[in-house]
Amino acid sequence: MKVCRGCRQDLTENLNHVNAGAIAATIPSLWVIYFVSLKEMRSRESVSKVATGASRGVNPECWLCGILKINFRKLGRETNFTDLDFLNDEMSHKFIDQGWRHVQCPVEWESGTEALMDRAEFWMTFRACLSKLPARVADVFMMREMEEMEAAQICQAFRISQNNLWVMLHRARMALRECMELNWFENKP
Amino acid sequence: MGIVDKSSSAENPSPIAGRNWFERMLVSFIEEHTPKCREVVRLLSRSMEVKLPLATRIKIRFHYLICVWCYRYGKQLRALRRFASSLPEHADECGQETLPYSSKERIRQALREKQNK
Repeated sequence: MKVCRGCRQDLTENLNHVNAGAIAATIPSLWVIYFVSLKEMRSRESVSKVATGASRGVNPECWLCGILKINFRKLGRETNFTDLDFLNDEMSHKFIDQGWRHVQCPVEWESGTEALMDRAEFWMTFRACLSKLPARVADVFMMREMEEMEAAQICQAFRISQNNLWVMLHRARMALRECMELNWFENKP
Repeated sequence: MGIVDKSSSAENPSPIAGRNWFERMLVSFIEEHTPKCREVVRLLSRSMEVKLPLATRIKIRFHYLICVWCYRYGKQLRALRRFASSLPEHADECGQETLPYSSKERIRQALREKQNK
């Protein structure tokens, strides 16, 4: 995608709100863009930005390219249903297109987990696994699961977004589950 | 899942494992209409935080029918939550403090900053 420099600069400016619908109606190609962008990124913003750009006499295509590029970058950062960031993460080798890799799928943990909880070795393993997590991820996980704090409180304390928190918790759980499976449930000390 | 191919169907303990024509059709139908395993795993983690929309919960249920591993994964996440919440009670059994000192200090600091705000 080509983005001309002028557009990028314009985009960073504050855009005045204009009646996007009225302008869009006059330019048919914008309607196509509207539906595409609605579906692709669920944001009406880009359309109103296109419209403002058009009203200022900037080439709409060029304007749109800039917006698309910026929005895609935003999409990559945020964690949507299937964000690329996650797919590239360290655990994705466990999956193939049709599901789990057979050698790496979760094994059945033994049913009597209550009995486990009386064993000191078990807690030592669990703690060792916790300490292997990256510090920040471990902090978030412990605040959520041990202190049972509200998600909103943790977000505030660590200054992270809610999506960010979910991803961190997800990674913590994935890593912890893996670690417990390898070090306890598969080869018990 | 990979259930459709015959070599792996023996290993799959799911209720519907694609053993005959009808089951194979059913499996591929469910496979098409439910999220992929890597998404299910992610959604399961999210479901521990917020209540998922009904449609998603139903989809996950259907996914369980053909994929016992995701079901296990969900069960194990709940077990992890139980372990983590009872870790403080068992702190003495570890022979050490529950949390490493540094992370305790960091958490405390984060909380303090929040209160000062």
